[in-house]
Amino acid sequence: MKRLALPALALFSMAVIIAAPFIGMQQISFAEFLSGSDMNIARIMWDLRIPRVLLGWITGATLALCGLIFQALFRNPLASPDMLGVSTGAAFGAVLYIRTGIVFSFLGLISGLSLAAFAGALAATFAIYAAGNLRRGGMSEATLLLAGVAMSFLFGSLNMIIQFTGGYVDTFRMMRWSMGGIQAVGFAPIIATLPALAVIFAVAFVAAPELNLFVCGEDIAASRGVSVAKLRRFLFFSVSIVIGINVATCGPIGFVGLLGPHICRKMVGTTDHRKLAVASLFFGGAFLVMCDTAARMLWAPAEVPVGVLTYCIGSIFFLWLLVRGKR
Amino acid sequence: MSSDMFLDIENLSLELGGVRILENISFSLDRGKYLGIIGPNGAGKSSLLKCLGRLQKNYSGRVLLEGNSISSMPERAVARRIAWVHQTGSDSLPFTVREFALMSRYPWQKAIGGETLEDMEIIDRSLETAGVADIGDRQLNSLSGGERQKALIAAALAQSTDILFLDEPTSFLDYRHQVETLELVERVNREQGITILLVTHDINLALHGADEILAIKRGRTAWKGKSEDLHHKELLSEIFDTEFESFVSNGQKIPYVAPRGLVR
Repeated sequence: MKRLALPALALFSMAVIIAAPFIGMQQISFAEFLSGSDMNIARIMWDLRIPRVLLGWITGATLALCGLIFQALFRNPLASPDMLGVSTGAAFGAVLYIRTGIVFSFLGLISGLSLAAFAGALAATFAIYAAGNLRRGGMSEATLLLAGVAMSFLFGSLNMIIQFTGGYVDTFRMMRWSMGGIQAVGFAPIIATLPALAVIFAVAFVAAPELNLFVCGEDIAASRGVSVAKLRRFLFFSVSIVIGINVATCGPIGFVGLLGPHICRKMVGTTDHRKLAVASLFFGGAFLVMCDTAARMLWAPAEVPVGVLTYCIGSIFFLWLLVRGKR
Repeated sequence: MSSDMFLDIENLSLELGGVRILENISFSLDRGKYLGIIGPNGAGKSSLLKCLGRLQKNYSGRVLLEGNSISSMPERAVARRIAWVHQTGSDSLPFTVREFALMSRYPWQKAIGGETLEDMEIIDRSLETAGVADIGDRQLNSLSGGERQKALIAAALAQSTDILFLDEPTSFLDYRHQVETLELVERVNREQGITILLVTHDINLALHGADEILAIKRGRTAWKGKSEDLHHKELLSEIFDTEFESFVSNGQKIPYVAPRGLVR
């Protein structure tokens, strides 16, 4: 049963990608799309729905993989990329951009809002690392985690201060951004986020033996020959930068990074991170596409921000996990 | 000058957060020997082991393996020489016995490629030696203390090193599993020539298993020498601040000791 979990998951994930673009306000059938006679249908599919589904899949997979790496790195089942200040840092950049009212873009491809968010994420990453590293005797997993949580609260409060001083329109834009959402018109966001996903999947897959050892504790990892401090630094920065790119594109989307890896562990029935990396890729992608499809449908013609939906589903799952209680 | 000893420790001192943990420890060990490191709780035994195995690097003094400083060797190179059985107590290790043994092959594996046939053979042999071949697919977290300890030793053997470090391997074990664990350690020492450094606060264990003993008290060397010379009650009571009674069981040269009361 569990042996078939990975191929089953991969097939399911592919099925979700293929099916999702046909679902929406205007139901489009397979035949209509393939005949290609209706220009409107072709535009809805190629400009809107297909990019959106792909971006959703990339985002979900990225978040789940980053969560998987962080949970092993910090030996903490509650660690997730959105808890560690990188997302709030990105939000700080975005909020500041909206508040100052400057408008710019990079070659007309990447919006100023995304650039500002990415800069915020980078600033947060370095601040967390510096804070975690200032302590004499180097950076332990506990200090880094606590520094991240503290930084998250700090940026969170700064965000609120800026929102408080802003006008109605600005404040609404800020709020809407911080709810997160998969918005794609055309393929530009995919060009930005797909390489980041490729990198983080390769990292998780190649570093799987080290992640397995990290889970057993620092001493066991070191005694098996892992350069613990070096690898921890590398993983922390690669996850943070990849998350920064993703949050800059889609805004903060919570709980996929937390709940994705947990569900994958249950489904695959192992702690081997090579299998978990593959599982997280497919599960994370499929989960967020399904959430986003629901977000498009639930309130149609209006849309629920998908970040709100994942938080809702995620929190309930999270509570269940806590109440269930045994590890 | 470094002598031609296998393992040489020269003036090793360790200070953590302003507290002296170890002070001026020096000793040497020949290849293939079994060293027991004994001392009361908090004496610095485990810290010493960590310095020797490069898990603690902030010490002063030198730790030489065949004349090379351990602290200047890369992690992987050290892991190909020294395997550990850590004091894991109730730590969660969410892997099967076999998976955990495979993880110990890490220092020998290439970055990409995974396990080889050779890895599998070595793991099979290690599980066999430690007597856990039949529970290879059980989760470590589901094993009893004794089975778990043997599984951890099997994993250490799978690391294919010529030195084995064990940190309090018999605490929390019942008598039968203590004996089984110690016999296993003695067997790999004698049959495979693996050099053993074993930390314990159990004097009898060290007296009867180890070739040599290093006794530590408050971070300093309290005594070192051949294990058959340590059984003097005065010496032991000085190290442990406890009065001991010793018993000679029939036919054995080295007596057993038991605590009688506090030193007054």
